[in-house]
Amino acid sequence: MANTIIGSSIVIDGEISGDEDLVIQGTVKGKISLKESLFVEASGVVEADIEVQNVDIAGRVTGNIAATDKVELKADCRVVGDVRAPRILIADGASFKGNVDMDVKER
Amino acid sequence: MAATKEFSSTGGDATVIGPSILISGKLTGDEDLTVRGRVEGELNLSKTLIVETSGIVKANVSVRNAIVSGVVVGNITASESVELTREGRMVGDINSPRVIIVDGASFRGHVDMGNAEPRPQSERPAARPVVRPATTSRPATVPARAAIPVARPAAKPQPPPIAKVEAAAKPENKPAPPPPPPQPVLVGEAGKKKVLVKKKK
Repeated sequence: MANTIIGSSIVIDGEISGDEDLVIQGTVKGKISLKESLFVEASGVVEADIEVQNVDIAGRVTGNIAATDKVELKADCRVVGDVRAPRILIADGASFKGNVDMDVKER
Repeated sequence: MAATKEFSSTGGDATVIGPSILISGKLTGDEDLTVRGRVEGELNLSKTLIVETSGIVKANVSVRNAIVSGVVVGNITASESVELTREGRMVGDINSPRVIIVDGASFRGHVDMGNAEPRPQSERPAARPVVRPATTSRPATVPARAAIPVARPAAKPQPPPIAKVEAAAKPENKPAPPPPPPQPVLVGEAGKKKVLVKKKK
C-alpha cells in the first residue's frame, strides 16, 4: 500500500514532501506535506506541522494538522495541536488537546 | 524495477523513501534505509544505505555500508564499505576501508581507504580507472598512499607541489623513514605494502 516507510529507529529533522502515502514508525520533526495519506503508527512520534490529504494517527503528534479530506485519531494516539479538516474522527481512548475546525471550504 | 522484495504490510524493520518523496534536513537511524526518492541534507545511519536507481541523495552521508545505484552528490563516510553499482553515479569523496566501483559506474571525487594518511593527491588518477572489485583494486591504491612518505623527504622523482605542502603540514606524523633512492621505488613499494597490510589486520 504505502511506498514510503520511516522505520522505528529513524529520526528525521527537517522537511518531508511528496505525492505518495507515508508511514511513520519513527520520529519526524519539522514539517510534512503530502498529497496523499499519512499514517503515524503507534511507535511513531511526529513533532511537525502536517499538511496532507488524509492522516491516521495511532502514535504521538505535536503540531498543527491540516488535511484536505480526513483526520482520524485512533484509540491510543496522543495529539497536541490544532486540527483542520472537513472530516475529523476521534476514537474512544484517543487523547487530544487543541482546536478542531471542520469548516473547511476545500472540497 | 525494485530489486528488493516488495512489502505487503507496513510492519518490519525497513525504511523506504518512496520515489516521490523529498526529505530535506537531517536523517538519523539504526536500520537499513532504501532511498527511491530524494534526500537532502545530512544522513547518519548505523546500518546500510541503499540508493536505488531512482534515488537521489544530496547529503553528507555517514553509514556503515552504502550501495549506490542512483545518484549521490556529497561525501560518504562508511565504516565498512561503499559500493557504486553499474548504474551508480556519484560526485564527492568516499572515505571507507572498502570501496567497490564496478564497470559502468560514474564517480568523481577522492577515495580514501583509511590508514591515517591524509588523502594523497596521487590517488585521484588511480581511483578513476578502477573497474575491478575492491580486492583487486586495493593494491592499485596502496602504493599511491605509500608513495607519500617517500615524497616527503623530496626523494620522489616528480613530486607535485601539493605533496610538499602536505609534508610540511604533518612533519611529525611518523618518524621519518630513511628515504629510499628514487630508482628502486618498486622494491620500496613492495616493502611498504607488506607493512601496511600487517598494520591493518
